Amino acid sequence: MELRINQKTYQVDADADTPLLWVIRDDLGMTGTKYGCGLAQCGACSVLVDGNVVRSCVTPVAGVVGREVTTIEAIEADEVGKRVVSTWVDLQVAQCGYCQSGQVMAATALLKQNPKPSDAQIEAAMVNLCRCGTYNAIHAAMHELADKGDA
Amino acid sequence: MNNSRFARTAGWLAVPCLVAAGLLAWYVTREPASPFENHHIAVADIDPALVARGEYVARLSDCVACHSVPGGAPFAGGLEMATPLGAIHATNITPDTETGIGHYSLADFDRAVRHGVAPDSRRLYPAMPYPSYAKLSDDDVRALYAFFMKGVAPVKQANIQSEIPWPLNLRWPIALWSGVFVEAEPYVARPSQDEMWNRGAYLVQGAGHCGSCHTPRGLAFNEKALDESGAPFLAGALLDGWYAPSLRDDHNTGLGRWSETEIVQFLKTGRNRHAVVYGSMTEAFNNSTQFMTDDDLTAIAHYLKSLPGDPQRDGASWQYQKVSAAERLDTPGAHTYVTRCASCHGLDGKGQPEWMPPLAGATSALAKESASAINITLNGSQRIVAAGVPDAYRMPAFREQLSDQHIAEVLTFMRSAWGNQGSAVDAQAVGKLREHTDPASSSPTILHMR
Repeated sequence: MELRINQKTYQVDADADTPLLWVIRDDLGMTGTKYGCGLAQCGACSVLVDGNVVRSCVTPVAGVVGREVTTIEAIEADEVGKRVVSTWVDLQVAQCGYCQSGQVMAATALLKQNPKPSDAQIEAAMVNLCRCGTYNAIHAAMHELADKGDA
Repeated sequence: MNNSRFARTAGWLAVPCLVAAGLLAWYVTREPASPFENHHIAVADIDPALVARGEYVARLSDCVACHSVPGGAPFAGGLEMATPLGAIHATNITPDTETGIGHYSLADFDRAVRHGVAPDSRRLYPAMPYPSYAKLSDDDVRALYAFFMKGVAPVKQANIQSEIPWPLNLRWPIALWSGVFVEAEPYVARPSQDEMWNRGAYLVQGAGHCGSCHTPRGLAFNEKALDESGAPFLAGALLDGWYAPSLRDDHNTGLGRWSETEIVQFLKTGRNRHAVVYGSMTEAFNNSTQFMTDDDLTAIAHYLKSLPGDPQRDGASWQYQKVSAAERLDTPGAHTYVTRCASCHGLDGKGQPEWMPPLAGATSALAKESASAINITLNGSQRIVAAGVPDAYRMPAFREQLSDQHIAEVLTFMRSAWGNQGSAVDAQAVGKLREHTDPASSSPTILHMR
């Protein structure tokens, strides 16, 4: 089947129900997207599909044929994604970093849909788990991004 | 004078009492007739083709689901079934002569399977679905016997005694129960219906014993109907902590929106665009329905679609209403839905058919009984193995992650979004099922009847 990932077209030989995450990591070698729980609970595997954040460990690959997938590898090619990453660096959000590619994807998806999200909207969207407990740093980064939302 | 009149009256009364007691004793210990009374089959002479056919009948009947334990030898028994009176255990039905059924004649076997009577005239608990197996044809019983005698490896494993205390453990009253509730005749084809319909009816009512879970039960725990002549037949029932949905043509809680092809797909692959197998059906799928031939599955689908629905019981027809859970964050439960459920089931409730089932229009979201929705949220789904391949996606258990209140709220949200009209779920109901389905609980009170 033919997949569009990060503005490139890939030919992939996979069963229809293969999780998108396995195709991205194992078949295509893009390992920036992480495997966490495999049950859509932690968010480490978050990628964008047509601009919406999805958990690629529970996304059958057949469902994204004909759609535009974005992974952490190309997030800085996106204006909003670039701002998110640079704010993440400024505030040194990451600790071990394992969950952070997923956090960045979730943040980018939110800000693309809503440049000035309210506290409640941030709380509802930023639900990925972080074992290091970087939630305060993520919260601070999101506020900074939301405050500059109109820029 | 008075005394002798009393004695005479008592004497006259004693006669009918004794006669009645004698008749009762005869009735509850008698051996039902079997057409195989004088058939003696030597195991060595059994034709392998008959064994193969019997194996298929065993698949249709899903014997292995109850007569085995996970990791144990097939058909060696041991599965605990908790009843309110105490636990009973499925028995060893391998051909071991000491602990199994190796010493059964064909007639003994027939009486156990179709009449619920063991060779010592002991009555079987109707956890063994003999009210359904009574419909099996003589040919299928003979084939089944051939399979168990020659196709199954004997296993020496003693049966576990039931934990039901005396006098509740007396078996003879079951004979009276059977006399009232069991129609002990093999299936008779309806001449007004075509061959496919009759084959479907035979499979659904007999070997498939679909009604054991899907037909509501009466006060005596009897299925309220054993075939299509009764409106409650396969009309949906609460059992074992799950709501087994209607298999009739009900728009909301039954198969009204399913085509015959989709029913076949569900039974063969475990999934279709409407639903994915879960709960007790997982065992029926893993061990039984996927092994049925396409012709048999088609016949089953054809028969089920002939059972009319009941709009009065089923309620107003569900219609999809487009709304995103993300736009309803003020509603209790919506936030939990967005964070815990939406990745698979979608903000729009449409799921990712046929891998992740839709919740919009799902039976568990439309049925009055919320047990299935609560149970699967607490305990997740069992592994579905289709054609030897385990499923890629499974419902996770939220028992340790969400409180009773959180589960009640998210399910109430799910059962009222996208046009769904299931009733609200209260935290108490969640707490109750949490306790009853707790694997660590010492007092499970749910009857496992599969």
